[in-house]
Amino acid sequence: MFPSTTRSLIGASKRLWVGAMLAIEISPLKPSSRSRKQVPIPIRSLSTPSQPNAPSTEKATTPSQTKPEPTPTPVAPATAEQPAELPVKEWSERLGAFGEHARLPRSVQALYLRPLRRKAEHGLPVCDLQLRSYSVQNLEFFADFAIRAAYYLNLPVSGPVPLPRITERWTVTRSNFVHKKSKENFERITLRRLIQIKDGNPQAVQAWLAFLRKHAFHGVGMKANVWENESLDAGKALDASLPEIQKTVGPHLAQFGQRQDNSVKETIFDSLDSERFAEPKNL
Amino acid sequence: MSKVASMFHPKRLDLSGFVNTRLIRDHNKRNAFAQMEPERQALRYIIRNTSLPQRTRAQAQLQLSQMHCYTRPTQIKNRCVASGTARSVFRNFRLNRFQFRMQALAGELPGVKKASW
Repeated sequence: MFPSTTRSLIGASKRLWVGAMLAIEISPLKPSSRSRKQVPIPIRSLSTPSQPNAPSTEKATTPSQTKPEPTPTPVAPATAEQPAELPVKEWSERLGAFGEHARLPRSVQALYLRPLRRKAEHGLPVCDLQLRSYSVQNLEFFADFAIRAAYYLNLPVSGPVPLPRITERWTVTRSNFVHKKSKENFERITLRRLIQIKDGNPQAVQAWLAFLRKHAFHGVGMKANVWENESLDAGKALDASLPEIQKTVGPHLAQFGQRQDNSVKETIFDSLDSERFAEPKNL
Repeated sequence: MSKVASMFHPKRLDLSGFVNTRLIRDHNKRNAFAQMEPERQALRYIIRNTSLPQRTRAQAQLQLSQMHCYTRPTQIKNRCVASGTARSVFRNFRLNRFQFRMQALAGELPGVKKASW
């Protein structure tokens, strides 16, 4: 979309924090083998951590069982562990009598496969989205959701890259009075994922961010750095847009300066000399 | 004009949650500082501006020193919002160490767990 000669001369970096950052339930994370396995591996299958749109027919099976669905190109570690878990029935079998003649809609079926991705043409980073959470499940789920949303907005995406965890530890005395030697340790581990959008349309990126904000997941905070690329003659474009900018800035600039009805016409020295200034203000 | 602290008291109590005399006092100090900060900064600027006449700067010094002590930022002290204690208050949670422990064990602080390593 942008030729390589015109790469970001002027990068406008915006930052948006989405509120309700990291309000999380405390319940300890279930030490499932899936979550432990996924954290250190950079490239992993994002098939189905937990899908809310899953049809009711699979209620009988636990989420961990649904994971090794027949993906078109399954990741090596996932296939290696398949024999250890329970055998998974085909969809037609699970649907019972309907399954013989019907199949799931493609959009629903896609939820059980790895998310689709667009291919980046130039590889220019346009938007960095950082997700933060205290729980792996919420974070993985929302990263998966963001990647799927980016696909349908025609945005090439890379990630989620697991960034280093932020570990905060506090040591406090157990009692409220004396007994200094008896202490207790607390910690808070913030998990992070980075999702990068490459050479996407700026409006599509904004739409994507707005969509993610609208469907913000509980306990997952978001931070986005957005870059916009300009052509080489950015200066001319800035000059051309000056009158419009002046119009929009005008009302704000009108707030500056002294008011018209300001009757005081003395300098700062006069006001310092005056007795009233020296007295404390009446509150 | 009297220079008593009561001039900084609001007509109605504008605090909720745990309330303490010392907590209210600190709250009033914060309000007073926020209100008078532009004036303080103006005086500080005059004092430090060497291009101004010495008399003006000396006057500004006097006036700054005569402002009420509640308007000084050094008067502000972080206090625990749950107990009003002034000692060992965590900035992250605005809680005293003991209140922090109680709330963390009760699961009221998001993400905070007992650590063992």
